[in-house]
Amino acid sequence: MTVVDAGAPEVVLALDGVSRVYGTEVQVRALDGVSLDIRAGEYLSIVGPSGSGKSTMLGLLGVLDLPTEGAIRVRGTDVTRLADAERSRLRGEAIGFVFQQFHLIPHLTALGNVETALLYRGLSSRERRERAMAALEQVGLGARHDHRPVQMSGGEQQRVAIARAISTDPGVVLADEPTGALDSRNAENVMQIFEDLRSPERAICVVTHDLHVADSAHRKISMLDGRIVADEALRGGGKAAAGASGGLGDES
Amino acid sequence: MRRFRELVGVATGGLTARKIRTALIMLGPILGVAAIVAAIGINESSKGHLKAKLQELGTDLIVVNASAGMGFGQDPVIEAAAVARVSRLPDVTAVTGTRQLSDIVTVPFAGAEDYYRAFPVPVIASGLDLPATLEVPMVSGRFLNDYDHDSGARVAVIGRDLADEYGYLAGEPRTIELNGLQYGVVGVLDWVLLEPSMDSAVFVTFTSAVDDWELDDPDPSRLYVRAPTNTAMVAQEIPTVVSLGGPDGANASVPTDLLDAQSQVDESLNNLTKMMGGLALVVGGVGIANVMSISVIQRSSEIGIRRALGHSRGTIAVQFLFEALVVGVFGGIIGALVGAGVVWGVAEQRGYTMVLSVAGLAGWALVSVGVAVVAGLYPSSKAARLEPLETLRLG
Repeated sequence: MTVVDAGAPEVVLALDGVSRVYGTEVQVRALDGVSLDIRAGEYLSIVGPSGSGKSTMLGLLGVLDLPTEGAIRVRGTDVTRLADAERSRLRGEAIGFVFQQFHLIPHLTALGNVETALLYRGLSSRERRERAMAALEQVGLGARHDHRPVQMSGGEQQRVAIARAISTDPGVVLADEPTGALDSRNAENVMQIFEDLRSPERAICVVTHDLHVADSAHRKISMLDGRIVADEALRGGGKAAAGASGGLGDES
Repeated sequence: MRRFRELVGVATGGLTARKIRTALIMLGPILGVAAIVAAIGINESSKGHLKAKLQELGTDLIVVNASAGMGFGQDPVIEAAAVARVSRLPDVTAVTGTRQLSDIVTVPFAGAEDYYRAFPVPVIASGLDLPATLEVPMVSGRFLNDYDHDSGARVAVIGRDLADEYGYLAGEPRTIELNGLQYGVVGVLDWVLLEPSMDSAVFVTFTSAVDDWELDDPDPSRLYVRAPTNTAMVAQEIPTVVSLGGPDGANASVPTDLLDAQSQVDESLNNLTKMMGGLALVVGGVGIANVMSISVIQRSSEIGIRRALGHSRGTIAVQFLFEALVVGVFGGIIGALVGAGVVWGVAEQRGYTMVLSVAGLAGWALVSVGVAVVAGLYPSSKAARLEPLETLRLG
């Protein structure tokens, strides 16, 4: 279903007619035949009330879960057909995560946390260290690389998490309520970092119910009852619109 | 290789972050391995000690005990003529007869009865060649001699432990009181390894025994026979030589055979201690499985993050298996060292030569590694099965 368009940027992540049903006796259809393309360079937000299916969609976009029906394509590869090892490798290479609760490993330093994302990739310990340091510098925490999460503020922890997400140079960064646990000043700071992280090769996808955060994106996907009900281009314009037509066209 | 190093790094990182917990789960393999190594080491060392002792004693001493042949109602003895026949056997180099006297209260000096009666002191009538036959030196003084025997003088030689007990000083002129009769102590006999009861005994001549203790005849009830060649054969023919085809008047044994048997008997003790140590290891393994299972639940968020960062189920399983492995390796090594230390301490204290096989140490450390890895299988598979979505709480 991928729209072949020589002018449009590459589709880095796509849901293709994806449904997710939970439970066996009492079935809950958390996601119902959703299709969505995320293209390189996009900055999109996914909004919707609780129970609208946005968390389920995030889990599937992040290949942390598998759909009951449909396909998840990472750079064109349908990951539902892959074995766990291969799927995990692809997830690690293509996707970076930022969580609401930061989810740093408490016994590791900031540097150690970032390095964790770079393990088992055939890097020498020195390369790993250098790349992790570079990522920390990028979020302005180079000087605090040897601090543990408990020694940092919430905003700093989230910046470490962002450094961890970008250290592998993924095609898409998935952020789950990245400002949900932060005060407004830190939230502003984190959103600015997201804005800065955008590059023609990398897409940013933020799941949130904070409309202010959602509106800072260039494309806004609205969810309700497991379906995409709106796919709007915001001030970003053209690029997002191309993805939107693909996503919506399939669903309706 | 790089991946292996990374896994070891992650595993040790996880372990050092929880030092007390790690120390506690390591305690299982440490105690198990230490117990086994110590038990086996102490056993081997004492066996080695026994063997050295056997070497020292010589394996050519035969002990002949009179047995009730024809004479009923009285203590069996070996007649003088039979003793002479034994000493004429071609392979025999020395023979000494002894006879233990009964009902003699021994005290170091008059009036000490109340205190010393608690210690039963064997009084032995002995031939004059006892030290030579047993190959035991005198600590001080001399043994009973021909003059003592012929004159019937009241002289005695005492064992080394008795000398200590009674507070005798070397060369000090002292007496000992046997049923109220004063005997002069002329010498102290060194420890008799084959007959530890002699260490606290009093030796007198057969003449004194007959004169003072109404012994009917100066015949021994036991012979010590030294036969450097054909020892076993000599031991076999002595009963016949003593009783000349009549009903057996004596039985002969080689006591070092008993010691040899003793070192064999230890084998069952050895197996028991191995089993106990093995049990400790298994319990340690259960402890590892237990604590690690709880740890997996507590670290579910960490596992979820690692999965999100691209670590596969297999990698997570191996990471936790490596933590178990590290516990097993260090537990095994520390346990082996502790066990070796215990063996060294015991050997030092008891005067053994320490016998410890390095292969054995390594072997038991490896067993601990095996136990730890097996124990880690369940928690690691549990960690691998965790669904990242359930632990990360999205949205």
